[in-house]
Amino acid sequence: MNTKKMRFAILFNICAFLLCGAHAVQASGPWKWQRTLTGLPSGKSMVMPSALYVDEKRQRYYVVDTGENRLLSFEREGKFLKSFTAGGQLQAPYDMVRDSEGRLMVVEKGKNSLTIIDIQAKKVDQHELRDNDALIYPGRLEFGLSGVLVLNKANGKILGLDDTFKVVKEYSCDNCSAGFTDFKIAGKKIWALAAQERAVYSFSLNGGKPAVVELAGNLKFPSALAIGPAGRLYILERHEGSIAVFDKQGTFKYRFLSPGQTRSQLYYPVDLLFDPWGNLCVVEEGNGRVQVFSRN
Amino acid sequence: MILHKWCTQGLLILAFIVTGTTVAMASSVCFQCHEKAAFQKNTTHKPVAEQRCSVCHNPHAAKHKGLLDGPVDELCFSCHKGEGESFQKGFVHQPVRQGNCLVCHTPHASHRKGLLHGKSAESCFTCHEDLPKKYKVTHRPFAKGDCSVCHQPHRAGNIQLLRVENPDSLCFSCHKNEEIGKGHTGFSGTITNCLSCHNPHGSSRAGMVREFLHQSFSDGCQACHAEGKIKDNEETCLVCHEQVRRQLFSSHNHLGISPGNSCTACHSPHAGDSQKLLKGSRMQICRNCHEDTFQRYADLLYRHPKVATGECAQCHFVHGSDRIAMTREDGNKVCSTCHETQGQFSHPVGVGINDPRTGQEMTCNSCHNPMGTDFKGNLVLSGSKDLCVQCHQDK
Repeated sequence: MNTKKMRFAILFNICAFLLCGAHAVQASGPWKWQRTLTGLPSGKSMVMPSALYVDEKRQRYYVVDTGENRLLSFEREGKFLKSFTAGGQLQAPYDMVRDSEGRLMVVEKGKNSLTIIDIQAKKVDQHELRDNDALIYPGRLEFGLSGVLVLNKANGKILGLDDTFKVVKEYSCDNCSAGFTDFKIAGKKIWALAAQERAVYSFSLNGGKPAVVELAGNLKFPSALAIGPAGRLYILERHEGSIAVFDKQGTFKYRFLSPGQTRSQLYYPVDLLFDPWGNLCVVEEGNGRVQVFSRN
Repeated sequence: MILHKWCTQGLLILAFIVTGTTVAMASSVCFQCHEKAAFQKNTTHKPVAEQRCSVCHNPHAAKHKGLLDGPVDELCFSCHKGEGESFQKGFVHQPVRQGNCLVCHTPHASHRKGLLHGKSAESCFTCHEDLPKKYKVTHRPFAKGDCSVCHQPHRAGNIQLLRVENPDSLCFSCHKNEEIGKGHTGFSGTITNCLSCHNPHGSSRAGMVREFLHQSFSDGCQACHAEGKIKDNEETCLVCHEQVRRQLFSSHNHLGISPGNSCTACHSPHAGDSQKLLKGSRMQICRNCHEDTFQRYADLLYRHPKVATGECAQCHFVHGSDRIAMTREDGNKVCSTCHETQGQFSHPVGVGINDPRTGQEMTCNSCHNPMGTDFKGNLVLSGSKDLCVQCHQDK
């Protein structure tokens, strides 16, 4: 190869590299894939995982594997630890948290129950929840300073429960056409997504009138939210297979990730959250995995 | 300097004369073959009236039928700019979304206002052929073909393209309190939600009450409305429809789709036009919340035929399912219900065959998007190369 041809080849490759790089940056925005949590090390793939819980103290991730009726634990670095089925008793688990006493609180959709699992005592208690006399269909679950909060799927209200699982507090959206779809606790506030209204409500844990941020972007089917360390709002688009990012005022900033099955692509994503170490974690029902992204 | 000024002015005058003459000549040339009378009716499109045929047509050659200078919608919206922008918001009438303005409008001249092809209803029935033209009891505006009394032709904030958000206010704009009261003797509450019982087009029943009545409704209001019986949640319905409760315990379900009782988001508790007492056609019901899905697949090259006809329930459960997207079966079985030979001779799928990209079981959905894509066979990527190399990189 003469010098001229070699120069051309080098230049061509540099251009190609830059173009590919630019594309990758556009696809994942300022976020870089870190790791994927899968069920394969347990001998079985995850089937329709629906939630991720992060235990900061223990530095562990817990994935709720709905289709396989189990909970999977991983080290912070992504190493698989254990698969837990509560002796085969779990039925379509959907979300989980750990309470202040270390017990697992699991929403089981198959039994419409908030199930309390005391691993030390080897005890599993199912609780059918009621708000006055109306049956509660528990969906998302969070554990805050004042106890456990559960999203009632039937009416989209967030309910605060006491130690006896009695409803003691209610966070609702009076003008919403279908209530809340998802909620998270961040910065001593409850952040709730009103999907139909394309708005995020924030409540102080003590109650009071919520602040409302209208999301000024072309959202298609928002299904979950996460609050970034700097207060930005991250909205998961289930059908679009992407994440839309908004500032505190609801101004659209950028969108990243795309639909598909390969790395940094999403297929029927279902849950989104920031872990305590600033990583953004996306649970994908369709691809049976959790992808963890960190800032570039 | 003066010479330069004269030259400029002269050129401008010349250009003005030439342009005017060319337009006049162009139109007179056009009308040498195209009969002028056909372009002169009660309402004439402004460029036609001004004999500016070349606004839309190229007299020599064009890529588009009718020697048009561009796609129909682009030409229309080049002048009707405001409409072009507003037609992108809310629920948009299908021909508008697809840019088929000429389905309803004629581009040159018409005897109708708004350059419509025919009477309002005539244009509507061209596509809405399933609608009965007449009922035993027909609503007067419907009988007169005045669809636009209630419906917007281009876009609206609701799936039925109604002129107002709350259908009741449309009803009350003609039907006043006294008349309404006479038709509801014995009912002491406020009359609302008219469409829950009445078909706004017509019915075989007096008062245009819908064809199928809820058993509890025909038995008398007390079956549900007796004191303490009605609750602002699904329990009111599940007391009798116990079989649905099981589906609501599924991992994916339609709970919480409306405030209060989710059942009434899709079903009328009183009367309906089908046995299931749905509040509209199946497609309308699903589109109320899943408009994004319909829009995403509407203009793709390859669509599942059931998507086009809105027969969602062919593949999806409507109350709940333990599968993604509430499908009736897993990703293989749901397809092979109709596509009987698939999965037997094609790419291996099913138990023990895992997708190397994710470790998930290979199903039809690993390569196809059953709803639709721009690739033949509803493949998610080009089947000639791009799709296969996602897994078979070493081949």
